[in-house]
Amino acid sequence: MSPPAPRRPGHEVVQGRAPRPGFVLEVDRSTPSTLFHHGEGFRLERLPVGSRIVYPSEAVPVLRHPEEAIRQALLQPVGQDPLPAQLFPGMKLTIAFDDVSLPLPKMRRPDIRQRVIEAVLDLAAEAGVDDVHLIAALALHRRMTEAELRHAVGDRVYDAFAPHGLLYNHDAEDPDNLTLVGHTELGEEVEINKRAAESDLLVYVNINLVSMDGGHKSTATGLSSYRSLRHHHNVKTMQHSRSFMDQHRSELHSSNWRMGKVLRDAGLKVFQIETTLNNDTFPKPFDFLQKREWEWSARDRMAFVAATSGLDRMSNRMKRNLFQSIEAPHDMTGVVAGEIEAVHAITTAKVFEQQLVPVSGQADVVTMGLPYISPYNVHSIMNPILVACLGLGYFFNMYRGKPLVREGGVVILSHPTPWEFHPVHHPSYIDFFEQVLADTTDPVEIEKRYEASFAEDEWYRHLYRTSYAYHGVHPFYMWYWCAHALQHVGAVIIVGGDPRAVRRLGFRPASTLPDALEMAEDTVGRDPSITHTHAPPLYMADVS
Amino acid sequence: MKALRFERSLPRFAAARVAGALAPGRGARPGPLRLADIDPPFVDAPGWVRVRPRLAGICGSDLATVDATSSRWFEPVVSFPFVPGHEVVGDLDDGTRVVLQPVLGCAARGIDPPCDRCAGGQVGQCLNITFGHLEPGLQTGYCTDTGGGWSIALTAHHSQLHRVPDDLDDEAAVLVEPTACAIRGAGKVPAGAGVVAVIGAGTLGLATIAALRHLPGELPTTVVAAAKHPEQRSFARSLGADLVVEPDELARAVRRTTGSMAVGDGSIDRLAGGADVTIDCVGSEATLAQALAVTAPGGRIVLVGMPGQVDVDLTPLWQRELELVGAYAYGTERHDGPGAGRPTFELAFDLVRAAGLGRLLSATYPLDRYADAIAHAAEAGRRGAVKIAFDLRNERERNR
Amino acid sequence: MLRGFPFAAPNVPEGVEVLPRKVRRGAAYDSSWAREQPARYARFFIVEGPMRAAVSTLASPTRKGLDRLAGLRGPLIFAANHHSHLDAPLMLTSIPQPFRHRMVVAAAADYFFGNQVTAALSALAMGAFPIERSRVSRGSAEQAAELLEEDWSLLIFPEGGRSPDGWGQGHRGGAAFLSLRTGVPVVPVHLAGTDRIYPRGATRLRPGSTTVTFGHPLQPAEGDDARRLAVKIEAAVATLADESATDWWGARRRAAAGTTPSLTGPGTTGWRRTWALGDRSGRTRPARRTWPEL
Repeated sequence: MSPPAPRRPGHEVVQGRAPRPGFVLEVDRSTPSTLFHHGEGFRLERLPVGSRIVYPSEAVPVLRHPEEAIRQALLQPVGQDPLPAQLFPGMKLTIAFDDVSLPLPKMRRPDIRQRVIEAVLDLAAEAGVDDVHLIAALALHRRMTEAELRHAVGDRVYDAFAPHGLLYNHDAEDPDNLTLVGHTELGEEVEINKRAAESDLLVYVNINLVSMDGGHKSTATGLSSYRSLRHHHNVKTMQHSRSFMDQHRSELHSSNWRMGKVLRDAGLKVFQIETTLNNDTFPKPFDFLQKREWEWSARDRMAFVAATSGLDRMSNRMKRNLFQSIEAPHDMTGVVAGEIEAVHAITTAKVFEQQLVPVSGQADVVTMGLPYISPYNVHSIMNPILVACLGLGYFFNMYRGKPLVREGGVVILSHPTPWEFHPVHHPSYIDFFEQVLADTTDPVEIEKRYEASFAEDEWYRHLYRTSYAYHGVHPFYMWYWCAHALQHVGAVIIVGGDPRAVRRLGFRPASTLPDALEMAEDTVGRDPSITHTHAPPLYMADVS
Repeated sequence: MKALRFERSLPRFAAARVAGALAPGRGARPGPLRLADIDPPFVDAPGWVRVRPRLAGICGSDLATVDATSSRWFEPVVSFPFVPGHEVVGDLDDGTRVVLQPVLGCAARGIDPPCDRCAGGQVGQCLNITFGHLEPGLQTGYCTDTGGGWSIALTAHHSQLHRVPDDLDDEAAVLVEPTACAIRGAGKVPAGAGVVAVIGAGTLGLATIAALRHLPGELPTTVVAAAKHPEQRSFARSLGADLVVEPDELARAVRRTTGSMAVGDGSIDRLAGGADVTIDCVGSEATLAQALAVTAPGGRIVLVGMPGQVDVDLTPLWQRELELVGAYAYGTERHDGPGAGRPTFELAFDLVRAAGLGRLLSATYPLDRYADAIAHAAEAGRRGAVKIAFDLRNERERNR
Repeated sequence: MLRGFPFAAPNVPEGVEVLPRKVRRGAAYDSSWAREQPARYARFFIVEGPMRAAVSTLASPTRKGLDRLAGLRGPLIFAANHHSHLDAPLMLTSIPQPFRHRMVVAAAADYFFGNQVTAALSALAMGAFPIERSRVSRGSAEQAAELLEEDWSLLIFPEGGRSPDGWGQGHRGGAAFLSLRTGVPVVPVHLAGTDRIYPRGATRLRPGSTTVTFGHPLQPAEGDDARRLAVKIEAAVATLADESATDWWGARRRAAAGTTPSLTGPGTTGWRRTWALGDRSGRTRPARRTWPEL
């Protein structure tokens, strides 16, 4: 009797057919109603015959043995020596990792960051490294709470490092812990976390949810200060990033790459680890959200009906608690480590493999159902500014080549857009909305007249550093993120939003989708071509 | 003579209280206010003349009286029955148009020599308010002897009368008296003040904003106004407020403007710093508490709105060494603030003209529709109105 | 009246050869009935009901390292250190799904299966099956391997018995042997605190708190034999003990440097062993009122 093949601790893998790629559906009379995400809820809408719907591809297979894959990546990096060869006793090792804005929604435990960090620390322990710091690279985002840090790095790492002050949030306003490393050839200041700058090795653990993430942006943005960030987080840069999801046509990335070069020339050694996810976004019973409507089973339809009728009876607060507790089943599809640019090229290809959907031609009108979450309202409230940013900043920019909507076209967003803010997380957003947007919605004007006073406001600075508030200048960045879209489109309409809040954003409110399409005709003429982006799950339109 | 008269009747007081509690201004019909036919008032003393009102405004204090919610403090300084109405533009018998300055000081009361306040031009602070040959009554409109504006005729002492320039129409002139009250409040803003917060944007609030932007002298750098209703906000903006916000946004707006720190984790309990001066033109518990929360230590809170009996924690007044000052009526502006050294009424005429305050008069009613008029005045903000007045120019009896 | 045969057992006539009695106890006990559906249902309610309630009252467990098992499919071998009779119930309520309710416990044949009543109770409540402590006997090992093949996960205490003195005992080869034999990974588990609540030889329970720490599943590597794998498992449990007492990073560094504190204690005997145990024994003298109560 021959011994059986060893059973390896493997992960559940969906057996059966290969994932189908994303595609463009043309609506005909027999097409069922189309799902629109609508904040903490959903709508089923009938799109006019002839409209197009872009569906993302299905989730690509994940790594069967993630732990082994991580170890392999660390032992056989690209463009650099294996990690163990770079570790030596007495060295200063800093591990930086992405903050709570990635991935979306938060993933089930164990988080990728925990797996990677534990693997790195295991090697560090073997090499006898004593001096290790772990830093949440959150730039001007809010600090992570203990629970969020525990979720990201795991209890073991948290309990081992946090009590000794060795696991902490980056502070972009702490003059004692920032180092001005140098200037780019365009005079941009490069200022990053002092500990990271003084380390013998900086290991950066990325989760590349979308193609914007990672590369030199990790360190040059994640660990930098306002002084450094303002060189690429501004209206001009954003208007010249077409889009910021496409590294090669993104001024945002060019600036970060210049800064990355300065860091490299200054002798900063970065061991970049980038990981990619599949787009398995919604757990049961919400998994119908990532199926195509005509493939909804009886159970899916029941889940949809139960969910929508249940949500109708819930308060906003209850709905938010329910949705924010969603933990996505998405898992790792790839992990690459080593030299930043080499790693990033491989990762970006991997992200595209999951997310790129070819679309031919632009549309007069693009409709988007915005979900309950954006990178900046994890465990928080999606306020109107974030609604604008998610629609016009993120979804609009998920393209390569040309935007989905033609120049002068109309974007129709669907989101309840309540006039609500999380006072702890978004204090400066409230003032931005009440005072700045009440005055003007022009990004250039806003930048010129208001940015400095918000960025230097002592109270915002205090809340950013000691509480859990986004930096005072952060709402400006949200608005700059929209700058490219605001320049490109002719009108923005929000379906089902609070009319007061929508008008304050400078957009037009509509109560139903047919009304919105009717209103859009004022801008683009009769019988416009319509494209609906059926996201999330996220995809990136490759528009030709 | 037709007049709206306020009588002393306990059951009617009670009824007004109940009705007024249901909806403000509803105390008019069941309450002690009645449309009556009475003898014209007459004061047998030198210097008293008949004034036939043209327009007579409805003031916040009048509304409190109608709903029987005003402070017991007034009991000894009014005399029943009285005809309300102290914001009056009217005709003398010779046809001269005048605005009434309603305070009944030493001169009107026949007290000679006058008290040092009257002598010094501060008639609003007169020390003999219940004495002399008149029945008690702090103003025309609260005194049984003089009559009041909500009637065909009243009697007034010549010291109370200010001639209306020909180029100023009645609608503007009727706002001179409330404007004078607002100037009194604005006059308490010390020179060199930076940020001034104005709470409330009814007639007084809007006139205060106008005063802070148009009076002669050194004006504050920034005026932040809190207004509840959209029409009020657009008025406030057009009258020169630098930043106009909703009432619950005031703390944030003041904090942003002053760049101060705030107590509260993102939401604001109170400011650590705040406005140099806060002018409360409402005078409720809520607004007074808000004023205490947004005024910087060592700053000043000016009460222009009539507060009545309120329950407010004064600890911040003590701990932050705030000044709480009232601004009741007129005299001569003698602080170092705007318009210093000039009579309040004189400044008020200028301000009404300069800021075009006549537009604040939103609607007029005949005396017969007094209940509607008072209901409209009580809900002015919600209904998009500011000042409501009785128009007596078309009363048949007057033109007989 | 009702005495003697047939009311009592008959006597055996002389000169007749007595047939050997069929032994149904000890290692030969047939526990398969306890893995049939009715017994499994009963066990489900016992484990989730009274056992969970008792464990959380007595032992208030903190469970760590469950994320190391996230997403795994069965079966697994759970190998834990052993101090107390509480260990099995604690483990049975701590092991995550999908393993918890398809679980067998390797229990000492001599102790738990000594008579029919304890045997039946152990089999029913814990899913116990008999295994011989002293040696890897063909019978019990075969049975365990078969159960693993049938997708049952296995809980085993490789020390072969509860700690006699508060220190751990050297691991025996059972878990390692089964893993090598079937290819099922071994999950090292460390239990802390049960020795204070109900140590060997205690007469009463002292409620306290416990910590269960699950480790990464160990896969037999190329060229491992049972002894080498057993040593690895023992080291993994010791590292978990270190991790649970201090922190993960420190434990990893000591593990890398080979300075993880031993679970088996110093090689000395007598009082020095107890002394070295220090506070870990938790056996404090009960507070006794010394002042005469008047």
